[in-house]
Amino acid sequence: MIVSFQRREVYVSRLQSEHLYKVFGRRPDEAVRRLEEGADRAELRSDGTTAAVIDASFTVEPGQTFVVMGLSGSGKSTLLRMLNGLLAPTAGRVLFDGQDLTALSPRELRAVRSTKISMVFQHFALFPHRSVLDNAGYGLEVQGVSAPERRRRATEALELVGLAGWEDSWPDELSGGMQQRVGLARALATDADLLLMDESFSALDPLIRRDMQDQLLELQKTLKKTIVFITHDLNEAMRLGDQIAVMRDGRIVQLGTAEDILVTPADDYVASFTQDVDRSRVLTAGAIMADADSAYGMVTDSGRKLTCAKDVLAAAPITVMADAPIVGLFTPCSATDAPVAVVDDSGELTGVVPRSRLLAVLGEPMGSPEPAAKTASLSTPDADLDAREVARA
Amino acid sequence: MPRLPLGDVVDRGVDWLQFHLSWLFDAISSFVTGMYDGIDAALSAPEPLLFAGVLAVLAWWLRGLLAGVLAFAGFALVDSIELWDEAMSTLSLVLVATVVTLAIAVPLGIWASRSKTVSAIIRPVLDFMQTMPAMVYLIPGIIFFGVGVVPGIIATIVFALPPGVRMTELGIRQVDKELVEAAEAFGTTPKDTLIRVQLPLALPTIMAGVNQVIMLGLSMVVIAGMVGGGGLGGAVYRAIGNVDIGLGFEAGVSIVILAMYLDRITGELGRQVSPLGRRAIARAKEAAGGPSLWNYRPQPVVALVGVVILALVAGGMGVFGGAGKADEERAGGIGKGREVTIGYIPWDEGIASTFLWKEVLERRGFAVETQQLEAGALYTGLAGGQIDFQTDAWLPITHATYWKKYASELEDLGPWYGPTSLELSVPSYVKGVDSLDDLKGQSARFEGRVIGIEPSAGMMGLLKDKVLKEYGLTGEYKVIDGSTPGMLAELKRAYQKKEPVLTTLWSPHWAYSTYDLKKLKDPKNAWGKGDGVHTVARKGFSADQPEIAQWLKDFRLTEKQLTDLEAEIQQAGKGEEQDAVRTWLSENPQVEKAMAPQ
Repeated sequence: MIVSFQRREVYVSRLQSEHLYKVFGRRPDEAVRRLEEGADRAELRSDGTTAAVIDASFTVEPGQTFVVMGLSGSGKSTLLRMLNGLLAPTAGRVLFDGQDLTALSPRELRAVRSTKISMVFQHFALFPHRSVLDNAGYGLEVQGVSAPERRRRATEALELVGLAGWEDSWPDELSGGMQQRVGLARALATDADLLLMDESFSALDPLIRRDMQDQLLELQKTLKKTIVFITHDLNEAMRLGDQIAVMRDGRIVQLGTAEDILVTPADDYVASFTQDVDRSRVLTAGAIMADADSAYGMVTDSGRKLTCAKDVLAAAPITVMADAPIVGLFTPCSATDAPVAVVDDSGELTGVVPRSRLLAVLGEPMGSPEPAAKTASLSTPDADLDAREVARA
Repeated sequence: MPRLPLGDVVDRGVDWLQFHLSWLFDAISSFVTGMYDGIDAALSAPEPLLFAGVLAVLAWWLRGLLAGVLAFAGFALVDSIELWDEAMSTLSLVLVATVVTLAIAVPLGIWASRSKTVSAIIRPVLDFMQTMPAMVYLIPGIIFFGVGVVPGIIATIVFALPPGVRMTELGIRQVDKELVEAAEAFGTTPKDTLIRVQLPLALPTIMAGVNQVIMLGLSMVVIAGMVGGGGLGGAVYRAIGNVDIGLGFEAGVSIVILAMYLDRITGELGRQVSPLGRRAIARAKEAAGGPSLWNYRPQPVVALVGVVILALVAGGMGVFGGAGKADEERAGGIGKGREVTIGYIPWDEGIASTFLWKEVLERRGFAVETQQLEAGALYTGLAGGQIDFQTDAWLPITHATYWKKYASELEDLGPWYGPTSLELSVPSYVKGVDSLDDLKGQSARFEGRVIGIEPSAGMMGLLKDKVLKEYGLTGEYKVIDGSTPGMLAELKRAYQKKEPVLTTLWSPHWAYSTYDLKKLKDPKNAWGKGDGVHTVARKGFSADQPEIAQWLKDFRLTEKQLTDLEAEIQQAGKGEEQDAVRTWLSENPQVEKAMAPQ
């Protein structure tokens, strides 16, 4: 009894992927066996089979946002489609809400999709022949909800995404951002616990994309959905994701928080991704802070020596919580040598961020060859020429 | 390379099908006929102009005032050139063919869009159906379904099916994959995905397919006319046969009017029925700005009420005006209303004798139906028993091939006119050429050409293999294969420009009364003895209708009588054949007495 209860407890509304494989082409089972033995994607491709997803395992806790990050062709969209059964895995299991989705009949799977899992698409996938309201209510229509009830819940969902008053418009009358809000409303209207978002903001321009990310974060505070979000944009991944999986050539190469990936990239591939990330917005004070003790003994510009937590708090140019992005620390730090104070909920000092550390974390991760190469290229005549051009300008 | 007996296999296959599946063909035939008769009755019941009004209101509603006015003008023109009934039967034929085609094509297209295997199998079959010349399967069509509208409709269906299937498949495959995936992601069943997403979005393409189906159907009506489909196609076929350019143009224009009307209406309907199309219209309206008389459209309800009122009025008028004419003289007499079907090839002597018999038999109380057919179709129809008799069999030479094929299914009731003759002819202004002997060394005048007719015709074989050889003309003259209408058109052209022309011709033929021509003498008797114009009936006819069979056996006309009658019919014009026969009979009462003594 207890055992089975515990098992169930483990499953409930938690999404688990266990050793998922997806192979396209001939003899997929044999391909899976070879992959398990360590064959790589290129070997299989020469036989005409494509391994889209290789051995993907992860767990998404209820209410968490799990981001799958990777370039096109890395298998992330295939992985997503196995989570709601749009694609059947070649091997492995998907467990959600106490059910093994891979063991369900097509009819049962459809029932799960219509009530428990919804999806938001890259190009919105709104039905052009339905009004905004009918689009938002589509999932409910599939569930067989009555028309007035459908209308009410679809209107609610539209209000939630900020589209009140647009119910009778048509998709082609809306901007891209608004269309995707309809897509989001359609996904939210069914009250599904799990939201699959397939590069949902990639087709939007940067400002709108940011708005949508903000809105999603805002909604998530109250809705607490379990979200699997696919993106190729690491900035987006780091803003939204509680956990991030980086995929490459069908495999998950790193699984961790934004800071894990930024501070300790698993390999050069992941590291090269992080180059373009705005670290100052991703890294938090808590992640880079040093122990409070390290500040003791420091002397400030004003000649004051810091000896205890009280001194540090008094001298600090700014006092922040651990989850504050470091972007906000630069301007205060520029005025004084005193370290930034990091405190917990009760106002106790938990650590400090000295200016030197702030500068160090903004640079490349250690061991990356790229900066060295760039330095070398500066000495070439062309670069000198550029420099002169710049100087003249 | 060994000769593969492909043709024999097909031959045997057709026989086998006819023998084993006749119940199926009969069922299809009666279904299609019933549908056609119903629609035709409904369409031709109202007064023409009122029905034209109904069609015009429909056009007004869908496309605006100008379209309505033009539609009315077009249909009024059809009525005024006395082709209304033909136009309505053509319209019925096209509608039936379209409905049946769509009932097959859309499901097939859906199936093909969901299965690559089905698509791969269907594609070559569709290619086959679309490119196989229609005449090739029309004759088997007659064997299966009998002459009349059915093989015409079947041929139209076969021809129009491919675009219907292809456009449906294309339309569904073109639907954005992400939309289909979205439907699936929300748990939609495959059936609902089809109904809620794929079909509505594919509808504009499918409607374009419907439009294609109708247009192809209309382009097939002429061919349907050759196998007894009647309507405008029959009129065109007949006009071609008689080189009646005027009638050909009138019938052709009527087809064009029908085609344009149907094209514009179905095109617009396609936009109206699909939600996407309605969105596009709404946006266009916003862009166009304020209302005006030209873009005012009656609301659907108003238009519907208008159409219903017009239709009721039109229907009411039809009840008083249209029907009831035909039944007067049928009641009594020896025939007791028994039905007789006469088939004819639209050749002058065929038309003359057929309508002569129609009139005489109707006076004797028979219910006579006439059906205009192409020669091959006529014999097939006789052999199949759908036609009772025909009066224009040229035996034993010209129609030898047909006779050989169907002799066991036919009864020869003997000749009523003869002998006929085959000959080469030149206009009388061509001096110095009076006999086949004179042709030697004259090839330059005729550009070395003998204008021939259908290469399948008996006399063409005779000419090439025997006549030219005996007079030593092989090599000097080249026989141009063509068609009878083509030959007659060439004769007409050359005659008007007074150019020398050498044509294959036969007597009796109206060309001899229209143009001043010389039959070239045949001193070596290479053409052989002439044909007689026989009456040929289906097997068992003389047992079923002994009186008529006896009358037909005794039937004779002299050259003078036949030419007079043909001239009378020619003068009266198309559609008035029976009136011309009545006039002629009142002047020649002894003929009727000789034909059918009471």
